[in-house]
Amino acid sequence: MSQDIATIRVTRYRPEKDGKPYFQDYKVPYRKDMVVLDALNYIKANLDGTLTYRWSCRMGVCGSCGANVDGVPKLTCASFLHEFKGRTIKVEPLTHFPVIKDLVVNMDDFMHKLVEIKPWIIREKESPPEEGEYRQSAEELERYDQFSSCINCMLCYSACPVYGLNEKFLGPAATALAYRYIEDSRDQGKAVRFPIVHEIEGVWECTLVGECSVVCPKGVDPMLAIQKTKILGATNALKSLVMPRGGGK
Amino acid sequence: MSKEKPFPEYRRKLGPGWWLANSHFTQYMIREWTSFFVAVFSLIYIYELSLFASGARADALNLLKNPGVIAFNVLALLFTLYHAFTWFYLIGKVQPIKMGKTTSKPWQALLVNIVLLLIVSFAVIEILVLR
Ligand code: SF4
Ligand code: FES
Repeated sequence: MSQDIATIRVTRYRPEKDGKPYFQDYKVPYRKDMVVLDALNYIKANLDGTLTYRWSCRMGVCGSCGANVDGVPKLTCASFLHEFKGRTIKVEPLTHFPVIKDLVVNMDDFMHKLVEIKPWIIREKESPPEEGEYRQSAEELERYDQFSSCINCMLCYSACPVYGLNEKFLGPAATALAYRYIEDSRDQGKAVRFPIVHEIEGVWECTLVGECSVVCPKGVDPMLAIQKTKILGATNALKSLVMPRGGGK
Repeated sequence: MSKEKPFPEYRRKLGPGWWLANSHFTQYMIREWTSFFVAVFSLIYIYELSLFASGARADALNLLKNPGVIAFNVLALLFTLYHAFTWFYLIGKVQPIKMGKTTSKPWQALLVNIVLLLIVSFAVIEILVLR
């Protein structure tokens, strides 16, 4: 197979030495089946062992290899080098997150938000295992199915200017996951999750830019989840206004 | 283990030109800017009404005929329509309607809402203006 040469321009930030990040160019020979992550691995193995970045599965499942490729948040393991033929490929750390080193960002904020929305099935009372699983119809599954495909890659946060302006914003993936449980027929945790998603920095902070859904590599539509959560919240508030005793449950 | 971070993290701030970074952001910003045009339009409108109310009919009509005001109104109309159409589309996306086995598409919601907008606008003109 013939090999072309790609120029990869990578953000370097070595906190012990550099006051701020800078770009470094590397020439990488590549074949048609190689992705940006392969190029980074090639650099690390052959050109510069100090380059730091995250990755694991190499197949779009673990969500750890996200970076801004050519200015767009992407999984580096799913971005083919030949798509950028003839251009210098800029690889930068995901926007809006603090940079720890080179392409590695601090994920703490997102991790806290994930825990905050309680991403598990909440039951008022667990039924004993002998009674079997909580059953669900195909239609009930369909209501939240796409939102359960999230791999926590944080590309949607990187694409969201609202999050860029206000770090407290709950943001796309955490809301998509909250909605995934809110819509799950087996879940009974609405009363716990509603105050979290509807607080000031919850869904109402979203101004419908919509870029989160554009960049998501798993076909999740976080913008949709946010708007649906807004609708649920509004109808709930209306119900409790009309029927103060238990209407807004 | 010490909780302190050994080295400083680099924090980036969103610059004022962020909305020019990609065409979706620019489109979003155009949509947001409609509020400016709607606000100015409303102020001009309220001023015109106050002129009418105080009996300065000629001044009010002159203002209505002012080429600058007309140009602004056309611009405001374009921005408002753009805003309305993007919202109509989003309505279809957020609240698709299920009809038997098929689910409505966003462009269908856009179309239905445009037709409704035309009908309501026509009715308002017929009942309030031309009557
Ligand atoms: S919603 Fe999509 S873009 Fe956001 S974290 Fe999940 S998989 Fe990644
Ligand atoms: S390496 Fe796992 S998603 Fe890219």
